[in-house]
Amino acid sequence: METMMKMLLKNKELPEGAVAIVKSLSESGDTALFAIVGDMSLGGRYGATTLLFTATKAVLYDESLSAPREYLYEDMEDVRAKRMYGNATLSAKMKGGKREIFFRYTYGVAPLCDAAALFISHLKEGKPFNEEYAIVSVAFEKALSVCPKCGRPLLHPGAECIMCRSKKKIVKQLSGYILPHTKTLIFCIFLSLFTTFMALVPPAITGFIVDVVFSDGESSVSLLNMIANAFKGEPKKVLTAMIILLLCTYVLQYGVGIIRSYLMRTVGNKTVAALRNDIYRKAQYLPMKFYDKTSTGSVINRISGDSSTLQQFMLRITQEAVVHLFQLVGIVVIMISMNPGLTLLSLLPIPFIVLASRFFSKKIRPLYRRIWRRWTKVSSVMADTIPCIKVVKSFTGEQRSTAVFEEKNKDWLDMELHLGKIVTAFPQIISFCVTCGSLIIWGVGGGKVIDGVGGYSAGLIVSFISYASMFYNPVTFFANLSDSFQGALASTEKILDILEAEPEIELPNSVTPDHLQGKIEFNHVSFSFDRTKKVLDDVTFTIEPGEVVGIVGTTGSGKSTLVNLLMRFYDGYSGEILVDGHNIKNFNLSGYRSQIGYVQQEPQMFSDTIFNNIAYSVPGSTVEDVMAAADTANAHGFICRQPDGYDTMLGERGVGVSGGEKQRLSIARAVLMRPSMLIFDEATAAVDSETEHLIQDAIDKLIEGKTTLMIAHRLSTLRRANRILVVDNGHIIENGTPEELMALKGKYYKLVQIQSMTADAERMRREERF
Amino acid sequence: MSRIYLSSADKVEKYENHLVKVTMADGSTVEGLEPRRLFPVTNPDAYITLLDESGVEIMVIRALSDLDKASAAVIETSLSDYYLVPRILRIISKAEKYGTLRWTVETDRGICSFDIRNRNHDIHVMRSGFVRVRDANDNRYVIEDCNKLDKHSYALLIADT
Repeated sequence: METMMKMLLKNKELPEGAVAIVKSLSESGDTALFAIVGDMSLGGRYGATTLLFTATKAVLYDESLSAPREYLYEDMEDVRAKRMYGNATLSAKMKGGKREIFFRYTYGVAPLCDAAALFISHLKEGKPFNEEYAIVSVAFEKALSVCPKCGRPLLHPGAECIMCRSKKKIVKQLSGYILPHTKTLIFCIFLSLFTTFMALVPPAITGFIVDVVFSDGESSVSLLNMIANAFKGEPKKVLTAMIILLLCTYVLQYGVGIIRSYLMRTVGNKTVAALRNDIYRKAQYLPMKFYDKTSTGSVINRISGDSSTLQQFMLRITQEAVVHLFQLVGIVVIMISMNPGLTLLSLLPIPFIVLASRFFSKKIRPLYRRIWRRWTKVSSVMADTIPCIKVVKSFTGEQRSTAVFEEKNKDWLDMELHLGKIVTAFPQIISFCVTCGSLIIWGVGGGKVIDGVGGYSAGLIVSFISYASMFYNPVTFFANLSDSFQGALASTEKILDILEAEPEIELPNSVTPDHLQGKIEFNHVSFSFDRTKKVLDDVTFTIEPGEVVGIVGTTGSGKSTLVNLLMRFYDGYSGEILVDGHNIKNFNLSGYRSQIGYVQQEPQMFSDTIFNNIAYSVPGSTVEDVMAAADTANAHGFICRQPDGYDTMLGERGVGVSGGEKQRLSIARAVLMRPSMLIFDEATAAVDSETEHLIQDAIDKLIEGKTTLMIAHRLSTLRRANRILVVDNGHIIENGTPEELMALKGKYYKLVQIQSMTADAERMRREERF
Repeated sequence: MSRIYLSSADKVEKYENHLVKVTMADGSTVEGLEPRRLFPVTNPDAYITLLDESGVEIMVIRALSDLDKASAAVIETSLSDYYLVPRILRIISKAEKYGTLRWTVETDRGICSFDIRNRNHDIHVMRSGFVRVRDANDNRYVIEDCNKLDKHSYALLIADT
């Protein structure tokens, strides 16, 4: 029973009533496979409900119903999950023709119910049970966007919760960056202890000066007494000796401080540099899958921002915490040894200081966050309207956009003014508390000095006040340590998310292909990004070496996915893809990719010279190879006319390189590496027809004898194709020569008709006008 | 399409202004060609393209040393007419206003002042000590070796790199 409950897929703990049903199911020999714990009754009121699924039926538990209801799959037709507004339903046409709603829920569980609806309908269609069950379990996995143990929201669904995973592992990961500097760090701790000790000396000396030098009293510090005795009767000389002693302490304290800060800074910078190197290197090898769910901006943030947050925290823990602790203990020991009663008194304000600093940091942080959000709104108004200034002007929206900006800016200003009050008050109030502590010492201690109570002297009071004020620093440090811990934890989580992510898979005994003939075979390839909806469904085709293949289809039909799989950007597909008869998964990744010239729709250029951008594909290319590649790509001509020729920096002010020219540069980049196969992903989609002609011409020169895949919207791009694949909804629906497909009068025929119609219409319009 | 590279058998003569006339080894001539550097920054004396009036490349010189001395001299004169890149010998003063730098410098062509809009992008110091400077109007200047500048100039330069 126990194990069965564990095996049962569920999104939450089951209500008791549902557990009873699971038990009774198992007693009757049936097994509950998965359970969706819902949140709404059929009548639309909130309440715990559960829909249990077995291989043959669904059982509804609803606390507002007297008995569970059963729905047999065989009674159902056309199971449907329908999202309404704020709630959704699972319904089926029952035998007898009436559609019955059997589960109602809010959007939170909707993805699970979508999967469940598919599960039932697919089972009814007779699809294999195991496959369908796997799809459902993925849906459940994805629904886990909070940690099942502690309920904390996760970075992404299915991620490991950093609060619950073994702290040992995290410490081990991170200590790798600290360990090389262990010696320096330990040395730094010693230096810190030394400076701390030095900081403790001056109050003792000042107390001595007050007591012995000014009023000829006695001191409890024996070392200082020895010096005083040496100059008996000459207070000025004793004072000079004390001042020299103070000077020496200060020189030592701050001199060692310089060395320590320098060492700490170097260690810190080295740590963060090593951390950044690792994150960046890792980020280069992460599969495309990772970048699909993580924005590139956030990856950049992790490399630049989070790594330094983490580094600061690591140093704080290894250094400041140790030093502050030592300081705290040292001061308390000294104070107690001087006067235990007064020590207790001077500790009185501590709870207030701790509370005040906790209170303020709790209060201020949300305010800062609110200010940040207000500021984001201001800047998003800017980011929206300034690039679209043409639209603003053409619809005379200047006043409106100014009004919106002023409103958001006022929100920000109000918030900032509000924060100003608290932020300026906070340090003052803390200082006030500290000063109040000295008032107590003055009041109580001073009174005892006047009364002549034994053990109390003016010097004692003076040193005490100095010590007490030094005491509050470490106290506030420890009071706020947990906040910086929280911040560091968030950064750690984001960094480990990259460091521990699976890189692209490379088989251990992979082979490096030296030249590919270019025979491409897809055997029953299916692929889906999240395993619930298939982007490619059982795709099979063969492309012979040297064929030029056009891939057409509507947006989202799966054309680009075909190419992505062939490029091995994604590896998680079923079936196999063979090139020259070898499974591409067995190829060495970089060796394989360097055989394919891939030209994207959006040419992407680095901010470097034109020469280096072309030579990116083959580092160390000769000038003449690059020039030849530029010739083939019809790019040499316009490069010649740039004032800086091949030395033109792209992305620099005043560099006039158009989109079409960039596209030709990216073709030159592909040409340079002499690929065995070519892939053009809508290479001409975003350029005018004259540039298209130039690019087309470049492509024609290039594809000679090479297997070429061309994804295209404009069918004019495909005039060189000797074979067309029509992709629709993840299937290859037509496959043949253009003539064959035209004769077929299918989808391709229709596309040609539509496009030639628009072309005709265009021509007619133009003729009319002139 | 194969490119024509000039060799020592071909002759280059001055045509008009900075344009040149090329007489090929087979006796055929092309007039009114404009020599342009393909790598004006990284390799100014290699790969010089000769463009016709409409900017179409007619032939290419791999390196000036491929030509006979007289022809090479013609090309050099033409290039030095086309590419006016003063060599900065000394930075006399530097002023900064509203984020724009204003340099007053002594060059091999006389003293001049210019604005530098973005010090990060417009002053490039190479490892070798070679410095390229671009002013707000897109004029170019070079310092052949910043380590050989006088102390004052060097201090002014290095503060912005």
